[in-house]
Amino acid sequence: MEEKVYGVQCKTCGKETYPAHAVCPNCGGHDFEPLEITGEGKVLTYTDVYALPLDYALRYLRLAIVELDSGLRATGQLVDDDPKIGKRVRTTVGVVRETGGRKIYGLQFVPV
Amino acid sequence: MREVAIIGAGMTKFGRSDLSLIEIMSEAAIRALEDAALGDQKVDSVYVANMGAARLNRQTAIASALVDQLNLFPAMAEAVENGPASGASAFKNGFQAIASGMADVVLVTGGERMREVNNLEATDFVASMSHPQAEYIYGVTLPALAGMFTRLYMDRYGVTAKHLALVAIKNHANALKNPYAHIHQAITIEGILTAPEAVVNNPYIADPLRLYDCCPVSDGAAALVLTTREIAEKLGKPIVKVGGIGQATDTHAVHERPDPTELTAVKIAAQKAFQMAGIGPQDIDVAELHDAFTILEIAESEEAGFFPKGEGHNALEQGVTSLGGKLPINPSGGLKAKGHPVGATGVAQLVELTWQLRGAAGDRQVEGAKNAFACNFGGFGNNVVTTVLMREE
Ligand SMILES: [Zn+2]
Repeated sequence: MEEKVYGVQCKTCGKETYPAHAVCPNCGGHDFEPLEITGEGKVLTYTDVYALPLDYALRYLRLAIVELDSGLRATGQLVDDDPKIGKRVRTTVGVVRETGGRKIYGLQFVPV
Repeated sequence: MREVAIIGAGMTKFGRSDLSLIEIMSEAAIRALEDAALGDQKVDSVYVANMGAARLNRQTAIASALVDQLNLFPAMAEAVENGPASGASAFKNGFQAIASGMADVVLVTGGERMREVNNLEATDFVASMSHPQAEYIYGVTLPALAGMFTRLYMDRYGVTAKHLALVAIKNHANALKNPYAHIHQAITIEGILTAPEAVVNNPYIADPLRLYDCCPVSDGAAALVLTTREIAEKLGKPIVKVGGIGQATDTHAVHERPDPTELTAVKIAAQKAFQMAGIGPQDIDVAELHDAFTILEIAESEEAGFFPKGEGHNALEQGVTSLGGKLPINPSGGLKAKGHPVGATGVAQLVELTWQLRGAAGDRQVEGAKNAFACNFGGFGNNVVTTVLMREE
């Protein structure tokens, strides 16, 4: 099965949000349909984290907030040896954490 | 609404403690109660601020445990968990209890014993505040959010590594004058930034943030006794009045904020506290800001209204926020050097400001301080409590 990451789109007003909320921040609606988080965008900001949380046996972890062309933003892992603010990237989905033998899939941004 | 005054303040030395969480909190509470010298007045209600007892110390229902230690039966008691803003949240609850008439005398005690677990577990515990699906699963920690915030701030406003270092140097220097501070270490720009060995002494934690941009992991507790203005006067106490309290929330995932360099909850909470107090940022003589990361002192000083957006680092560089400057910020050493036992922090900020307003802050006293401001910052700015304290003659 192909892993995907989803936000939501409000069925009432069309507003897209990621992550999902129980109440639409635009119209107060409660009905949503899943919205796949995918596409191209640009790096808004990033960091290399050396003080890692549990579950990572790495020297550092490169994280970023990306602004997608749709206007939605997402936090994820940045797979790029030469990161820069404003650089064009696209979403991929991969294993972002392994905890208790369980693989967790999430967004990994790669250069376009 | 009844007027509320602080009549007792006490804290433990922050750092590594061999005592249990309840013992640490008892020590701070006893100091605050002795300071208040209540005589025949009884404590009606106890608010305990703490974030991690269940996970870090495997203890729950700690407000009941503290009342038992202090023999304050049959006082009302509850714990308040609001992330790193738990301290000021508990204080707000205590204020409301007295203002509303539910209680006449309230004990607020904040405490955390973080060093019971290793650094990895402590980092993960704090990271569990982040959004579980949109942030935490990626390995996001609080330093990671702060690192991304800092990079954007530097890019947009011209803040440099030197400005961040200046916050750390100032707050370490202030902490040398505070016997309760966790870190007693003078640092220099050479030692942490410009000398060749600085990369070893001051490695990156979440770049561009380095070790000396981040607060330590601390054990500690702080406590305050609150009462009505009438009882405070009857007890013959110097009046430190609670002028105003403000609180505001913001999005859980930082990336959802329209401008991720804006700490909107700080701005709104500060405006509310100032409005309630009937004064403005220009009237403040001393401030304690939540500098869990050096960038936050700069950003909060702007959002609170002390300096225009993007100019806090200039004020810092000009010495405005140093002891002896026009608006000293974090005379206690801040979270950066005083330490950050998360549940204790918001209470400890107000303990420092109470001492400042009483003229009892020793070598770090801000001369003639009359109005004081505190910002206690929860999550990465998703829940912020601000307080204005005022000295009355
Ligand atoms: Zn809607």
